[in-house]
Amino acid sequence: MPKKYHITPKPAPLDMDYVFKFTIVRGENCINCGKCIKVCIYEAHKRRTDDPRKMADPNTVVCRNCFRCIQECPRGALEKSINKDYSNIGGAFWKPDILMSLWKQAEDGNVPVSGAGYRGPFTGIGFDSMWTDMSEIVRPTRDGIHGREYINTGVDLGSKLNHLTFDSNGQLISVVPETIDLPFPILFDITAYKLSLHVKEAILKAASVIQTCLIIPVTEITPELEKHSDNIIPSLASTDIDKHEAILKKARLVAIDYSDAMLKDFQALKEKIKKHNHALTIVRVPAVKNVEEIVAKLTQNGAEIIQIVADYRGQEINESSGKDGRLLKDIIRAIHSRLVEDKIRDSVTLVASGGIGMAEHVPKAMLCGSDLTAIDIPLLVALGVRVFEEPQKLLVFPEGLDKIPSRKLTQRIVNLMGAWHSQILEMMGAMGIREARRLRGESGRAIFFEEIDRESFGKLFKKEKR
Amino acid sequence: MKPSTVKINKMPSRFKHQVPKYKVTRSDACINCGTCAKTCPYGVHERSEGHNKVKPPIDYKCIGFECQSKDFCCITKCPRKALSLSLNPMYNTLGDPRWTADMITGTWIMAETGYPPERTDLDYNVGNSGGGFDKLRFKFPAKPAKVDKAEISTAIPLNRRKDGRADVVISTPVYGGGMSFGSVSLSTMVSKAHNATIWNTFTCTGEGGFPDILKPYCDHVITQVATGLFGVREETIQRVKIVELKYAQGAKPGLGGHLLGEKNTEAVAKMREAVKGTSLFSPFPFHSVYSIEDHKKHIDWIKAVNPTALLSVKVSTPNDVDMVAVGSYYAGAHIIHIDGGYGGTGAAPDIAKKNIAMPIEYAITKVHNFLKAEGVRDAITLIASGGIRTAHDLAKAICLGANGAVIGTAELVALECVRCGNCESGRGCSRGIATTDSVLADLFDEKWATQRLTNMYNAWNVQLVDILQKFGMHDVSELVGRTDLLEHIDYSH
Ligand code: SF4
Ligand code: SF4
Ligand code: SF4
Ligand code: SF4
Ligand code: SF4
Repeated sequence: MPKKYHITPKPAPLDMDYVFKFTIVRGENCINCGKCIKVCIYEAHKRRTDDPRKMADPNTVVCRNCFRCIQECPRGALEKSINKDYSNIGGAFWKPDILMSLWKQAEDGNVPVSGAGYRGPFTGIGFDSMWTDMSEIVRPTRDGIHGREYINTGVDLGSKLNHLTFDSNGQLISVVPETIDLPFPILFDITAYKLSLHVKEAILKAASVIQTCLIIPVTEITPELEKHSDNIIPSLASTDIDKHEAILKKARLVAIDYSDAMLKDFQALKEKIKKHNHALTIVRVPAVKNVEEIVAKLTQNGAEIIQIVADYRGQEINESSGKDGRLLKDIIRAIHSRLVEDKIRDSVTLVASGGIGMAEHVPKAMLCGSDLTAIDIPLLVALGVRVFEEPQKLLVFPEGLDKIPSRKLTQRIVNLMGAWHSQILEMMGAMGIREARRLRGESGRAIFFEEIDRESFGKLFKKEKR
Repeated sequence: MKPSTVKINKMPSRFKHQVPKYKVTRSDACINCGTCAKTCPYGVHERSEGHNKVKPPIDYKCIGFECQSKDFCCITKCPRKALSLSLNPMYNTLGDPRWTADMITGTWIMAETGYPPERTDLDYNVGNSGGGFDKLRFKFPAKPAKVDKAEISTAIPLNRRKDGRADVVISTPVYGGGMSFGSVSLSTMVSKAHNATIWNTFTCTGEGGFPDILKPYCDHVITQVATGLFGVREETIQRVKIVELKYAQGAKPGLGGHLLGEKNTEAVAKMREAVKGTSLFSPFPFHSVYSIEDHKKHIDWIKAVNPTALLSVKVSTPNDVDMVAVGSYYAGAHIIHIDGGYGGTGAAPDIAKKNIAMPIEYAITKVHNFLKAEGVRDAITLIASGGIRTAHDLAKAICLGANGAVIGTAELVALECVRCGNCESGRGCSRGIATTDSVLADLFDEKWATQRLTNMYNAWNVQLVDILQKFGMHDVSELVGRTDLLEHIDYSH
């Protein structure tokens, strides 16, 4: 049995202004009777320390919405409403509840658990319109989650052969291409964000703790960061390769931004990199309208790893398509089936990125056909960043972020990834899949809303066209 | 037809105030004339003797905008136009898309009065989830056959195999789901069993063992045999009419159970025949079951221990739920109980509740049709659960192909659960339902809880009878599989 991959969480609370979901206001008709102190088991209600005859303002950060103080106050003096800050953060994709859950996971590293069944909408867009399957009877057990059996979340980066060739003496004549293993199907990617050195260092250290890599613009790699060069994937334009020889020499992986010129001469580009180093190349392709076309061509030309970069909400990058643009789920499905059709799926590793915001998105992206994922915003949310979608994308960094010890910031990201790892194990365990490598394109283990709804309700209720 | 044991009595909320839907605001223009206190028949405005000021309005008693057409409406009667009416922002903090505030309020009214709400401002039959049951509507015929309500039967037989085992008939096609000893308060657990007895239906032990306090109700309790086999003994199998083999549950399909060490108190450990303070895992699945043949061995074992009991098999809703159902039939089960992914009452990982396994609506049609194609549909009882919130959901589930349903959350809401989801954090439910904390578990007694449940079951039965009457049917079994009586608001128009 391989050594078990484990991420160790440690509580890492931030001293910041928390966004909370409810506001409770104590009306003037309060008679300071203290009933609410007794009934709130979360201690939202207390007396004032300076004047214990009076009630302090409710501490609604701790409110869990049980309604007891509301219903038991003899005067009906308490009013509760949804907090404005809560309804303002996030947006249609980065829902306030997602952000709050990510903060919590970064704080304690635990799998979010709650009672009373599912509370959300029946279905949604993108990854919210699919469910994962489970096995009723025959499957590896929950022991995999709790220790006795091993569920492996490891994946490889690189090209694989469709088949091996042997000579007449049974000797292998195929050259098996080099691959790099990751114990966890998530890369970090901060190419889209301007971050302080302090924050970059914290993220990079977290990448090193959980044994993954950070994609970072080559120009931002300072000597402080170079200490962790094993975990760095420098990203650069193909035209800049010769400029950064020193850094490229140390890299195991290099990320190159896609340009149309590559389609013609990908081999030349590889040669150029090979001059400096034997690194594997990741081509970062924006998820534009004809992305499956580009990916297929790049693969045919020998690309080993391709990162699909959708926008921060997982949408297609295409000005003109606006709201009709595809979402990451469908983009990945289209690319995967195109590569399968062309019989070249195994020659390339697909990394899905943009709009990977929750643990469930990772195995779902893989079921749709990617080999692994890359994340950006969740890393920042772990550090207390608030995301706003309206009127336009905005990230608000907590004040004094650079004064928080880097150790704590690193731990928060490690915690978040620990929580995601446990959740991914839960989903794999339920599906009865022990190897993350086997998730790729296993759409039979997914239930897609459009398909099942059409198959059942569509067939039953669709009016006959006359 | 309701059993003669059912007695409807008003059983009001345990709390002083209800959650208000409306807000009545009195502005500074008020001169304390007292007109509003006199005119409002619902007691929203109070003026106590000796005080010359009217008290702040008691919002939850106000009937809302429909009052504005009444001649007693305080808004129009106030000489100073000092009163205004709006939706209360507090109402938005109650409920969620699946269980809307109206649905929770409606269920509370049913549990209090025993009948569907008379108020017309509550949309309590459908939720706001945007899919599944919430998109289905009944297509009532304009001129149904005339049926007297008294002639309508809602009873269903549970043994359709005709294999010589007990002929168990329940009076209403719904029963209570398993909530284990240790996960809910004793009053909750006993009231569920007591109500099941009153309504001549069932409740289930859950996997925590069969506590002695349920013995008086054992003809209406299902012993659950789950993967951990906690507290399962020959006598707990022998004393009941139905034994349920639980493979999986909708809230956490494929994940088994996990009772934290701190929740494994002396009493819980004794019931489960385990060591106090240790974490208890119910593995997934049964470690001795890797095929339908193995599954049959389990059923045969239970059948040998109890020669008359019916066998129920509870599974979740994977893609191949139809095959599992047919397999269970051939293995000898009387009831196949499918538990959809969106339901559940106990604590579960959010990721599992939202993402794993299909919603019950699809699974019902899938299983019903597959059993039909296999020619065995009439020999097995199909029970659906996991998202059956209202009497309308129940009737829709039956139209889709179920014989009946199991409910969990709705029962808890009848006991004034607000669906806050804190059941398993810290001391447990602060409203005294899903907790064994010595103080919190005493917040209500069994008598109150039983009457609330009996009332809610009655309101559901009244609604079901009403639906059957509108279809001109005499028996709830006529409704099974009648998808032609439903329409879908996206597809059908
Ligand atoms: S219960 Fe009501 S009246 Fe009493 S102290 Fe609390 S808010 Fe004031
Ligand atoms: S609603 Fe419940 S948790 Fe919130 S402050 Fe009131 S008693 Fe406390
Ligand atoms: S009727 Fe109007 S003025 Fe008179 S007490 Fe009521 S709110 Fe005040
Ligand atoms: S609107 Fe009607 S029900 Fe509401 S407070 Fe006024 S009189 Fe009473
Ligand atoms: S904790 Fe909340 S959701 Fe759970 S039973 Fe109690 S009221 Fe209901």
